[in-house]
Amino acid sequence: MSKLRIILLAQLAFFGAWGGWLLSSRNADSPEFYLETAPVDPRDLISGTYVALTYDISRPTAGDCRDFRNFGPVFVKLEHRGGTANTADGPVPVYEAVDCSANPPQEPGWAAASLQHGFGGMTALYGIERFFLNENDPRKDAVSGTVVAKVKIGHGRRLDLLDLVKKI
Amino acid sequence: MSYHSKLKTDLQGAAAAGLITPEQADKVWERSYSMRTFASFKAAHWIGAAAGLFVALGLILVVASNWDKIGAIAKMGAFLLLFYGIGEAVLRLESKPAAAIPLETLWFFMPVLGIGLYAQIFNLSGDPVKPYLVWAALSAPLAVFSKRPLAAYLCAILLFTVLYWGTMGSANMLSLTARYNSGSQPLWHWALALGTLGAGAALYPGKRLGLPLGAGVVWLFVMMVADTAIKVRSEALVLLTGMSLAVLWLTYGRETAEEKAGLPLTAWTAAVYLMTFFWHYRGHSSYGSSSSDTAAGGAIAWLLFAGALISALFRKQRLLPEGATEDYLAKALLAASMLGAFLLFDASEGSAKILAVIANVILAAYGAGCIISGARTANEKLINRGVLVITLTAITRFVDLFGGLLKSGVAFIVTGLAFGALAYFVNQGRKALIESVKK
Repeated sequence: MSKLRIILLAQLAFFGAWGGWLLSSRNADSPEFYLETAPVDPRDLISGTYVALTYDISRPTAGDCRDFRNFGPVFVKLEHRGGTANTADGPVPVYEAVDCSANPPQEPGWAAASLQHGFGGMTALYGIERFFLNENDPRKDAVSGTVVAKVKIGHGRRLDLLDLVKKI
Repeated sequence: MSYHSKLKTDLQGAAAAGLITPEQADKVWERSYSMRTFASFKAAHWIGAAAGLFVALGLILVVASNWDKIGAIAKMGAFLLLFYGIGEAVLRLESKPAAAIPLETLWFFMPVLGIGLYAQIFNLSGDPVKPYLVWAALSAPLAVFSKRPLAAYLCAILLFTVLYWGTMGSANMLSLTARYNSGSQPLWHWALALGTLGAGAALYPGKRLGLPLGAGVVWLFVMMVADTAIKVRSEALVLLTGMSLAVLWLTYGRETAEEKAGLPLTAWTAAVYLMTFFWHYRGHSSYGSSSSDTAAGGAIAWLLFAGALISALFRKQRLLPEGATEDYLAKALLAASMLGAFLLFDASEGSAKILAVIANVILAAYGAGCIISGARTANEKLINRGVLVITLTAITRFVDLFGGLLKSGVAFIVTGLAFGALAYFVNQGRKALIESVKK
């Protein structure tokens, strides 16, 4: 087998494995919940039109969160504290950030994030800050407070963004 | 008129003038015509290519209109099949460059298409630099093992582009510049940036170090003047760093097999030329809004200076061709171009003016050296370079040192006349020198 064929197979294996991991993470056996979000609509060079999202949980302040001031990984505890949003499917639970930890306990609800410098202080990025959609999708023009993000915690405690749901 | 039409006319003219026989003219034309791009393409090939293009465009549009209805697994499966098909086609058509080159280009871009597709399907986001670094990492083996240098060029360009973009940014995994003056970037960013730089230089095809070294030299200089952990702020250190890097690039950046200095020489000349404008220097010890030199920046500046000085004195110089006198002159000019920066350490106008005069003298000496050495070694290019450097320096000084509308107006008229005379004498001298070379 030539070296180039091995390279081709390795590249295909990478994308196969990555795709499988992403698919299984999306289908992981964990509850789905919603997050308040504020969208704007830029375009990505390699993936097309998307809605850029910031979340209330991007600036966690509850619990020990204020102690995390440095660039790097952090885990944020997401919990339902009674907040709901009305959607076409009825009221849905909206989760909030209630605590932060560098080494969280082995219990559900902890989401992995990465702290980065942002305008006005440190921002927690969860990897769910982009929702890709069709150019003609009306959600592209959604304004702050009109949509909620449907998410779940997948592999490696990473949040998976499943949908952007319009509030009614 | 196309190249081949013109060639045919020229060959017919040459045959009519009796320089070559009509048979030779026909054979030369036929040989050239048969070697043109797509020469092997017959009409049927073009029609076939057009048919393929139309079908492909149609398929793309049909798929695009139903994009949202296609499931994640179908999209990923189609991508993997397409990826495999392109890779397999490259392997099978390796001996046919007309097909293999565009296919290999597609292969190189397939990983980033896959990353983009997966990001779209799974709404992935995060560090903006990461997908490009992953793309480079996935494509690097292709760049290393491909028989053609195409993938290596593309991969090196990708790495250098990501290096510049990432390190100049302040919120990604390559960021080296501080954000709102709030804390330095982590040390591992530096390791990643240096790894990217090293990989870009290593993947650049052939043994031509000139461009990758130049890209590295410019990047290092940008990092030292930007708000990073190795920033230098005093003008003397900035100048010392810039000139040292220019000398290092000139010394080690081999551009072609004939060791022509090319771009590094232009960069060094431009750097000395810029030094001539220190005539207008108004003393202040630092520029910009923030802080002073960092310890790391200062140490790197001194190391670069030491390395450049040793290199200039003990390595083969590339300013002027071989010859004992030229060698001494070139080494002295290289050393002087760096040592001049020391005049800025007292940050006074007087010292800066001396520096500007020295820079002018360096350019004049270099120009004269080129002309004399060119005459001695029968090198017309070198003579022309010398005349160009001296003329450019003279013109700049004429324009640079006048001020005010009336003064400038009169000065421009006088300068214009002087230029006319200068151009005449320079041209006469140049012709005489070239003629003496030819004799």
